Amino acid sequence: MFQLDLKNRKSIYEQVVDNLKELIITGVINPEDKLPSVRDLSKQLTVNPNTIQKAYRSLEMQGYIYTVTGLGTFASRPAENKIDEGMVLTIKEKIRSGIKELLYLGVSFSDAQKILEDLMLERGGWK
Amino acid sequence: MIKITGVDKSFDEFKALTDLDLNVKKGSIYGLVGVNGAGKTTIIKHLTGILKQDYGQILIDDEPVYENIKMKEKMGFIPDDLYFFSTYNLKEMSRFYKALYPGWDQVRFDFMIKQFSLDPVRKLSKFSKGMQKQAAFVLTMSSKPEYLILDEPIDGLDPIIRKLVWKYIVEDVAEREMTVLVSSHNLRELEGICDSIGIISKGSMLLERDLDELKADVHKIQIAYKVHPENPYAGLNILHKETKGTVDLLIVRNRKEVVEEIINESKPAIFDILPLSLEEIFIYELGGENNEITEIIL
Repeated sequence: MFQLDLKNRKSIYEQVVDNLKELIITGVINPEDKLPSVRDLSKQLTVNPNTIQKAYRSLEMQGYIYTVTGLGTFASRPAENKIDEGMVLTIKEKIRSGIKELLYLGVSFSDAQKILEDLMLERGGWK
Repeated sequence: MIKITGVDKSFDEFKALTDLDLNVKKGSIYGLVGVNGAGKTTIIKHLTGILKQDYGQILIDDEPVYENIKMKEKMGFIPDDLYFFSTYNLKEMSRFYKALYPGWDQVRFDFMIKQFSLDPVRKLSKFSKGMQKQAAFVLTMSSKPEYLILDEPIDGLDPIIRKLVWKYIVEDVAEREMTVLVSSHNLRELEGICDSIGIISKGSMLLERDLDELKADVHKIQIAYKVHPENPYAGLNILHKETKGTVDLLIVRNRKEVVEEIINESKPAIFDILPLSLEEIFIYELGGENNEITEIIL
């Protein structure tokens, strides 16, 4: 399903969370699709099942997936009202560092603004 | 569950273990690390019932291990220095294991010797060191232990076999909730496989924690300012600080969000935050007594 980078400084746990999130956000895993079980994913990636379990729990708390006892784990429909403030801050950090690089490259304020707007328009479905 | 509390052990005048505590949850993969001579192998020999402690308790599933045959039947142990009967081959050895371990799985054994390409009728003493280690692994995993204790298991194994060894271990943890305790100096490999880590130093437990929590708590940050503010790091719990030219390098024990909030406040020109690798945590925690080593490596 995805590969892990053992040389990455990011922990395996974070990599599993990020990879699954990416697959859900981009729609490779559709809402209501069943995710592999903790056991299967653990064997597939050769990763400690406790780590996968923890990643699933974190994704569930963030609203990306939900578990039905006895049936398995499924991808959620995109959140309708709940916004994770912590995640917003993390993403803001990423945008911040991107903007810093634009400034360094000598891009003007209005051009930078245009880049951001274009990027936002690339995606549909804003509220 | 493995529970070791307040264990002391002396060999004549030498105190090998001092008030050592160690806890491993069921179904966990626990990495035991420490510098050479810290007492890793000694504690493993206690855990497997080979040595008897002077004081303290060593319990597995609430039962003492020493001279406890029922408990040892559920345990697999691969020591650092392997021993095989001099004239035995793998086939004969498998009969010996079968007689000792009630959980013996012949189908798995037959499958594994093919997968590892080990000759079952060649004398084990004629095997290379790496192959002997593989043979020990095949025998141990075929006995389907509930507790697997490994002392430096991947030393001297090639990368393909190492991957296969971890695959078997992960599979058994996932399928039957096997509990694993593994000691190693290969921290990068432990980091990829363990969920808990115990760092021992001079015969005592220095630090025992969930690996991800441990890593979420300590960060390495690099900061540079155009104009260095008065005291930009107030409020941070700084473990280590050094300045290289205009760049400050800090090791801090704070949550990531806290670090980001405090540092961004001071408008840095460069600000990088990196999680520490287990290797760095190890060096930081244990190199403290010897600052020269810490400086070279961090």
